[in-house]
Amino acid sequence: MGLADRAVGFLLSFISLSIFTYYTFWVIILPFVDSDHFIHQYFPPLEYAILIPVFAGVTLLFFLCVFIGMVILKSKKKKP
Amino acid sequence: MIRTKQYFSHLITCPMRHVIKIITILVAISAIWIGLLQTAVIPNSHTWLLPIYLVVLLGCYGLLMVGVGLMRFPTCPQEAMLLQQDIIEAKEFLKQKGVDFGSD
Repeated sequence: MGLADRAVGFLLSFISLSIFTYYTFWVIILPFVDSDHFIHQYFPPLEYAILIPVFAGVTLLFFLCVFIGMVILKSKKKKP
Repeated sequence: MIRTKQYFSHLITCPMRHVIKIITILVAISAIWIGLLQTAVIPNSHTWLLPIYLVVLLGCYGLLMVGVGLMRFPTCPQEAMLLQQDIIEAKEFLKQKGVDFGSD
């Protein structure tokens, strides 16, 4: 039980750290690098650095609203 | 357990302090951002990306705190056993008194 918790915690922190380094590299370091450096081929163009977080945020809000709606509907069904 | 109780009692007795702290931090960050926009130390296309980067950074930090908390969460297996026994005893006692437990 404790081991599964620790594994999930480690996975979460690993994902968060990798997202942090990749995004920091993308948004802050890459604009100051010459445009014919080889590292640019590992990163999508800069517009995606805005589109992807906004899209993820909207998706998160969507799922949150759907979840809340389902919970409200379920509680309304139980007490008619 | 006791630390969370202290956090929550502080939040209930003086909620204004936390709100004022958060608002001052937000005002400071927006002042720095507008200053950067005006003086153009960094090219403007990069300055526009900065708030989104800060939001992503905040989300990452929250996720990291959750992960670290999960990793350091202490389990007390003895207390868990005692708690299960307490629950069984309480259920027996209340069933005698006639409390209906329902399906959940």
